[in-house]
Amino acid sequence: MEIPYTIETREDTGVNNAKLGIWLFLASEVMLFGALFTTYILLRIGSADDWSQLNDILNVPLATLNTVVLISSSVTMVMSWASLMMKDFKKYKLYMGLTILCSFGFLIIKYFEYSAKFEHHLYPSTNTFLAIYFTMTALHGLHVIGGIIVNTYFWGPGSKMWNTQPERFTNRIEIAGLYWHFVDLVWIFLFPVLYLL
Amino acid sequence: MSLKTFHIFFISLSVLTAIGFGVWLLNENAPVFAVLSFLSGIGLIVYGISFLRKLKHVSFI
Amino acid sequence: MQPNTKSVAQHHDVHQSEHHELSFWRKYVFSTDHKIIGIQYGITALMFLLLGFMFMMIMRWQLAYPGAAFPMYFFIAPIALMGVVVLFITGIKPSVNTVAGLSLVAMAALIWYLGSSDENFPDGIMLPEFYNQMGAMHGTIMVFLGVVPLAVGAFGNYVMPLQIGAPDMAFPKLNMMSYWVYFMGGVTMLISFFVPGGAANSGWTSYPPLSNIATTGQTIWLLGMVFLISSSLLGSVNFIVTIVQLRAKGLSFMRLPFFVWAQFVTSFLLLLAFPPLEAAGVLQLMDRLAGTSFFMPSGLVVSGQILPNTGGGTPLLWQHLFWFLAHPEVYVLILPAMGIISEIIANNTRKPLWGYKSLVYAAIFLGFMSFIVWAHHMFMTGMGSTISAFFQTTTMIISIPSVIILSALIISLWGGSIRFNTPMLFALAFLPMFGIGGLTGLPLGLSSSDIHLHDTYYVIGHFHYVVAPGTIFALFAGIYFWFPKATGRKMNETLGKIHFWGSFVCMNFIFFPMLIQGLAGVSRRLYDGGEQYAHAQSVLYLNEVMSVAAWVMALFQIFFIVNFFRSIKKGEKVSDNAWEATTLDWSATTSPPLAHGNFDTVPEVHRGPYEYSVPGQKNDFTPQHQKA
Ligand code: HEM
Ligand SMILES: [Cu+2]
Repeated sequence: MEIPYTIETREDTGVNNAKLGIWLFLASEVMLFGALFTTYILLRIGSADDWSQLNDILNVPLATLNTVVLISSSVTMVMSWASLMMKDFKKYKLYMGLTILCSFGFLIIKYFEYSAKFEHHLYPSTNTFLAIYFTMTALHGLHVIGGIIVNTYFWGPGSKMWNTQPERFTNRIEIAGLYWHFVDLVWIFLFPVLYLL
Repeated sequence: MSLKTFHIFFISLSVLTAIGFGVWLLNENAPVFAVLSFLSGIGLIVYGISFLRKLKHVSFI
Repeated sequence: MQPNTKSVAQHHDVHQSEHHELSFWRKYVFSTDHKIIGIQYGITALMFLLLGFMFMMIMRWQLAYPGAAFPMYFFIAPIALMGVVVLFITGIKPSVNTVAGLSLVAMAALIWYLGSSDENFPDGIMLPEFYNQMGAMHGTIMVFLGVVPLAVGAFGNYVMPLQIGAPDMAFPKLNMMSYWVYFMGGVTMLISFFVPGGAANSGWTSYPPLSNIATTGQTIWLLGMVFLISSSLLGSVNFIVTIVQLRAKGLSFMRLPFFVWAQFVTSFLLLLAFPPLEAAGVLQLMDRLAGTSFFMPSGLVVSGQILPNTGGGTPLLWQHLFWFLAHPEVYVLILPAMGIISEIIANNTRKPLWGYKSLVYAAIFLGFMSFIVWAHHMFMTGMGSTISAFFQTTTMIISIPSVIILSALIISLWGGSIRFNTPMLFALAFLPMFGIGGLTGLPLGLSSSDIHLHDTYYVIGHFHYVVAPGTIFALFAGIYFWFPKATGRKMNETLGKIHFWGSFVCMNFIFFPMLIQGLAGVSRRLYDGGEQYAHAQSVLYLNEVMSVAAWVMALFQIFFIVNFFRSIKKGEKVSDNAWEATTLDWSATTSPPLAHGNFDTVPEVHRGPYEYSVPGQKNDFTPQHQKA
């Protein structure tokens, strides 16, 4: 038994299963982070403190660096997909590898940020701003780790599929790319909201 | 929506972020960095256009 | 591109031969076949329903006879006995019956463990703390582990792909994962009974600050919810993709059986409403484990001491996030039920559903609206009259589609030559019961009358009318109706009718008095049923009535359980299309057991879902796949 439209698109809907699936999943992710951003707004409005001062303790240069890293990783991600469409597997490996490196880079920088906070005895329990800061960035970090796992699989063992079902593999990379772009997108919102405003 | 579309959407938002960040830096009295930020915004626009050219044949859906 | 009929058929043949090679584990335990997964969901959910029911009966003991010693063995004996009998008849072998028998024995053991602990029942008398555990876990188990998994996980999984002519779900492995993540969630919830302080005891709504400072059980509850939410997210993605992508040729959206539509809308609700609760769960976990104060106001005094947390949060935030899920959730509870009822009514009136299109549009509208009514649960929180006015208006608006659906179903009965079989009896009872449930919702939805009714037994009566004689009846109807598809045999009609009439009468004796008590002002979640309150005295006698009715209803469920297990082996054999129905599920030829892949030839659809008694046709039903 074979499930129809795993690779080919269905004519009347214009998509294949996986693409529709990932977009639905991302819709639910939007609701997840949407709820957290709403929480942020409500807590900030109701707070007795001035959050635009509270966030001065955050490290803007490091966050900027991280923003650059993530934007670059989205570029390499899209390149790895484009390479597959041009049937260039070697380049795919290169770009996907770079994407994964960028993701690790992001996490390492994040690690330095976190540990600097802990050294200064700044914890989630210190105040509500730090609470939401740690919660949101940690949840985002978990999503980054998820992306690393998926991408590493497609870079390593999962890439064998290229030899047997190249079209399906290209599809999978597109799906992984959509997810990864979403993770980057969340950061693009987190950065100004948490660090700047 | 294909990865191509999403990428363009993402790059557009990145451009906005770069510009917004530049404005923020101006407020913080860091004009050099602000200019850098604006420039990277422009760089992203250029990149976006070249990306669209390169992937002309790929569907938006 | 349409599927190439020939190649799919060939694959099917290939597949059948390789099917025999699947090991027992792959075939029945870690199966990717939507029918097996549906049955796994069904059995698990039924067991949880029974457990939730047991908890309720234990609570009802306390409510009827506050302070009297708890006769534990009186409650345990029946299920333990049933479990042993089932095991004795089947023996220990890989079968549904053995699993069910073992679960029954385990359930008895759990209640024995709880009932014989001095921490819960010193001198055999229930402590309020334990009553609260029962209350919270009854609600949680019923909603998240019982009704939704049965309505969506079991019925949706089993029936929906068949009704749209699909070989399976779009992502079979994801489907398997959904089930096992759900299972893990259930196990997690059960484990919480064994931690110090017992299970969660802050109500199924888990309102902070109470839940924030509750015992460890609450942490486990939150972890369990994370599992359950993840499971339903995976499931809903799968459902939507399957419905959109795998519809058979010719099966346009407006030809979908209403059951499929109901599952479709339900899946969107699950997909979009659950994540905010997941966020809220994460925040509460942070509050409990990392010492944050998302839901904790500053300077909170507990037992005469100011809590050391930094404060700055607000408990109302939880309520907003929770009800943003939980109101759509109540439509998750009711929509699949409406779907089941529609199929059964069309089939047994031998008439097309009246107003199919209005049913569909009403369901979609209902889905949209259910996202903007949540704060009608919060009128009494002091959120302000402007906001109340908004949510009261949307609440009144959302009752319109509910009324449309109910009316369409009632009108469908008009002029039909109705077959009064067991599924139809349950379906017919659903209509007035849901009617009472919906109508009692209106006074709750008006912010002024809600002042009197909020947090009274009236609310409990309201939603139980919708969920118990409403949704649960629909689920029973569905089990009787699709049992032949799963087993090739019918359940016994006489036992079914006894089950129906017994349950129907008892349900009303349980839930109608709640409305009366609530109007008299008796609060919900009272551990002594209101004994200490002067205003409750005149309606106190109803507590015993409700409790006895609940226990009697339990006895009537035995008819169902016996019927269910007996019919698997001994029920009357029936043909593929046991009820002479029109939808594609009944055209699947290989029953039982349906092979993985469902259809021998890929079906093609030529007409709408309910072409019953079409003039000029030879039969009084014209299947969807029949050509002109
Ligand atoms: C059709 C129109 C309906 C209206 C106008 C309505 C209105 C309400 C309102 C205003 C409340 C809050 C009462 C309070 O706490 O003071 C409520 C509670 C509730 N309703 Fe409904 N409802 C409707 C249908 C349903 C349906 C279809 C279901 C479920 C299948 C349902 C399940 C519940 C539940 C579970 C609660 C109580 C939650 C709790 O506090 O524990 N309702 N309803
Ligand atoms: Cu509601």
